[in-house]
Amino acid sequence: MLSTRNTHASLRWLGKQLFNREDPGAFFDPLLAVLNPMWVRGFVPARLLEVTDETADTRSFRLRPSPRWKGFRAGQHINIILEADGVRHHRTFTVASAPRQWDTDGTITLTVKRHPGGRMTNWMHDHLTPGTIVGISQAFGDFELPEADVPLLYIAGGSGITPVLSHLMTLADRDFRAPVTLLYYVRTQADVIGAEILYALASRWPALTLHVYRTEEEGKTAFLNESHLDTVPGLRARQVYLCGPKGLMDLAGDLLHSFGIKDDQIQTTFFSAPSAVPADTPLGGAVTFGRSDKTVDAEGDAPLLEIAEAADLKPAFGCRMGICHQCSCRKTEGTVVNRLTGKASGPGEETIQLCISVPQGPVTVDL
Amino acid sequence: MTQQLTQQQLDELAKDLDAIRDEVRADLGERDARYIRRIIRLHRTLEVGGRVLMPFGFIPPVFVAGVASLGLAKIIENMEIGHNVMHGQYDWMNDPSLHSQTYEWDTVCTGDSWRQTHNYEHHTYTNVIGKDRDYGYAVLRLSDDEKWHPLHLLQFINYVMLTVFFQWGVGLHELESERIRRREIKLSDKKGFLKDFFRKGGRQAFKDYVFFPLLTFPVFPIVLAGNVCANLIRNLWSSTVIFCGHFTEDAETFTEASIEGESRGHWYLRQLTGSSNFTGSKWVHILSGHLSHQIEHHVFPDIPAHRYREIAPRVEAICHKYGLKYNTGSFGKQYWTVLKRIGHYSLPDRVRMKLEAQAT
Ligand SMILES: Cc1cc2nc3c(=O)[nH]c(=O)nc-3n(C[C@H](O)[C@H](O)[C@H](O)COP(=O)(O)OP(=O)(O)OC[C@H]3O[C@@H](n4cnc5c(N)ncnc54)[C@H](O)[C@@H]3O)c2cc1C
Ligand code: FES
Repeated sequence: MLSTRNTHASLRWLGKQLFNREDPGAFFDPLLAVLNPMWVRGFVPARLLEVTDETADTRSFRLRPSPRWKGFRAGQHINIILEADGVRHHRTFTVASAPRQWDTDGTITLTVKRHPGGRMTNWMHDHLTPGTIVGISQAFGDFELPEADVPLLYIAGGSGITPVLSHLMTLADRDFRAPVTLLYYVRTQADVIGAEILYALASRWPALTLHVYRTEEEGKTAFLNESHLDTVPGLRARQVYLCGPKGLMDLAGDLLHSFGIKDDQIQTTFFSAPSAVPADTPLGGAVTFGRSDKTVDAEGDAPLLEIAEAADLKPAFGCRMGICHQCSCRKTEGTVVNRLTGKASGPGEETIQLCISVPQGPVTVDL
Repeated sequence: MTQQLTQQQLDELAKDLDAIRDEVRADLGERDARYIRRIIRLHRTLEVGGRVLMPFGFIPPVFVAGVASLGLAKIIENMEIGHNVMHGQYDWMNDPSLHSQTYEWDTVCTGDSWRQTHNYEHHTYTNVIGKDRDYGYAVLRLSDDEKWHPLHLLQFINYVMLTVFFQWGVGLHELESERIRRREIKLSDKKGFLKDFFRKGGRQAFKDYVFFPLLTFPVFPIVLAGNVCANLIRNLWSSTVIFCGHFTEDAETFTEASIEGESRGHWYLRQLTGSSNFTGSKWVHILSGHLSHQIEHHVFPDIPAHRYREIAPRVEAICHKYGLKYNTGSFGKQYWTVLKRIGHYSLPDRVRMKLEAQAT
């Protein structure tokens, strides 16, 4: 064991010397990608096998990851790596299938809802066809199944059902005996994701109580309120899982507290992607330096490089006029305006040049 | 000498050039990604081909093919991939292996040192005597801004040494040995740099002069000789291309005073008149990393280089609009003017003036 690890380490060292890179394995990727794209080392490749419609705006993508993928636990998510128009994008999706599917046929399923105005979810719906190779990350996240048979309550909204699907299928396989209640909020009956699985589970697995609330069809009373929680027997003893849009999460958290449920009984996973600031937002805003754990308020007249220096940070720089890229750095959240082009960036994670980027609203950079 | 443009003209010049840049930026996409990936694939093929052929170099034509293959691989990696990636030309692709700040190339100079001396110092202070240390690489006198010294008579030897050992020269550039000699800085100030230099230089020498020869032990002299040749080809070609970019006859130089508080328009002006292009076939452009379009590169250092060919006519038209010289010519002609410049400025000013007077 030790000796194989040593050989591995010395091969890596040699690879670094020969190919001048930290991930020497990926040196041959450009050639491997031609021979067989499932051999590349730069990321874990996965082949798309099948695309199925769940609802009008949601599709499931069944993938077969390369054997290098290490598997997942129910409720975990992955980053999918896609290339659109020459640009590589990373997006997070839950593995909506159960680990048993992975164990039996080596496939996983992602269930993706079109995010209104969203770049990649729409692109996936419109461009991904069976046979395509995409990249995926190893699974991460801790929306974990309970170890013992304790009573459970799930509150899910929209596409937030995906980790719940994986949980419920796994619990049913485990022949989980304690009561399990799912409150699922959708706009209309046609928007129920995983309907077939949910109704099949409800009929064959007696522990499960399923309530689907259709907010557009049933009106006001279908929005999460106290009476919904009143219907859950033994609520205070339940372990609670929340997953859905931020509004629903916040509301559910408040209601549960008022029912005397403590924070350590609640597990949450957030789904919401950051949204773009309106174009007329004034320049300036709170700038957070993630790595240094500092936040400062900035006026709209200074680029991030100066803001960082005023906050006693020492980012690398060169020309201070946008030519040399010495100051390039990851922005993890927020919108910045490029001084040279006057154009606003997207709201998500990307590389920016600090010396010519002025914050527009709150911004977080990896400094 | 530099044409005198009014501040208003300079602002308009900046606007005209910005318009081209914004247009190309907005159009970046699939085509550019496919282009650089194809070039990278070609590089990998040539590198693997060269390494595999080299041990069979006891058959003379195979030796030639192996050297050519590995030499071309190094040229393409340094010029069209490494240099351009490190300028941030492909940062928009968000591909970690093409990221400007982490890319490490197949040459002695470390990526970090290059980003400092080239991307920042040379591209910001282009041809400003005293600030752009690329101007003559501190071993050549190329303008009368520098006082003549009898040792300059021998500068042609310096030039030959520099071009033969170019990768080591570039690797040591950040050492600023001329300032150490003048006692402006101490050798110990450069400890950090030297450590990196020896690590990377050692890595490069180990790979080409130890590892691959040993791997093919019975034929090691052939592999060693082949690798030396491949590095030499790359050194000669890349130094020649770079010299043709700024040291041609009419490439202008600037004083430190002239750039104080300069506007963006003036920076553009300096890039346009301090650089020179050469013409050639598609492959000449690719092998030069499109530094054959040095003017376009200096105006837009972070636009994918294969676009320079396409925008060149528009940049030339802008030059004409403002009465600026668009310095271009055939590779041979431009190189000849470089050699002439090196020769002329090796002579005492009086002799040089006389020669120049005779020539006109
Ligand atoms: C843990 C987790 C699990 C999820 N599981 C699912 C699922 O199973 N099914 C499903 O339909 N949706 C899921 N989502 C939501 C999904 O990630 C977003 O809807 C999707 O990323 C939107 O992408 P887009 O390109 O269409 O939107 P865009 O509006 O183009 O993206 C908005 C911007 O936000 C950034 N961004 C996008 N997503 C994220 C993110 N998650 N974190 C940080 N920045 C981001 C992007 O860089 C982009 O700039 C999950 C989200 C999270 C965090
Ligand atoms: S410091 Fe040169 S680009 Fe920002």
